[in-house]
Amino acid sequence: MKVIIELFGASRDFSDQNLLELDVENDSTTKDVRNKILNYLDINFKGNENFIKIVNSSVFCSNDNIISDNYKITNNEKIGIIPPIGGG
Amino acid sequence: MLHTKVIDVKERKLSISLAENFISSSDFGASIFFSGTVRNQNNNKSVVGITYDSHDALVIKSFEEIYNETNQKLKIKDKAVFIEHAKGFLNLGEISIIIAVACKHRDEAYVLSRYIIEEIKKRSPIWKKEHYLNNESDWLKGNPIVHEKD
Repeated sequence: MKVIIELFGASRDFSDQNLLELDVENDSTTKDVRNKILNYLDINFKGNENFIKIVNSSVFCSNDNIISDNYKITNNEKIGIIPPIGGG
Repeated sequence: MLHTKVIDVKERKLSISLAENFISSSDFGASIFFSGTVRNQNNNKSVVGITYDSHDALVIKSFEEIYNETNQKLKIKDKAVFIEHAKGFLNLGEISIIIAVACKHRDEAYVLSRYIIEEIKKRSPIWKKEHYLNNESDWLKGNPIVHEKD
């Protein structure tokens, strides 16, 4: 199945399209998606360490709620990646 | 009474006068206007501007939660609060955030204003990309949002 990841903040540098569309196994969780993103970065950015740190310190959101690592993703679901924040 | 908005700076700039109009009331004897602006130095680098990014829906949700919890946490029930945050590219000196509060007394107003900005820094999904004099740019590191991993 597919998952669409909307990019915010520093994660926007992962793609010039402001989102990633990744194939994941059925019944995947947020944790699985995190690993898929790390795999994508390994292939496309030679495991860029800064990017890996961003992913490992990010949370994810769905329907405007922060979701936990064991949240079950549905097919074609759009989730957002929320890197460490700092507004003001 | 609460006003919140994320403003795309291509549409309009943030304005203290709008905040003043919103919180102005003879019910309140103390008003405080806090504004954050883009400064020209950070970490020994010469900054020429900042691009702000935002998850608008989560930002508004966080503003509302922060406002609502001040009833219990700070025991400040009678208040007017105006919060706007900019999104997009800002030049030096331009306003990135306005927090205007009005309360019955000054003690409450100072506490409320400070509480809101500190909580926004911790909880609202907003990001800064600094642009430097040498044409480089960098996303600032920021603080992770606390979440359950299991």
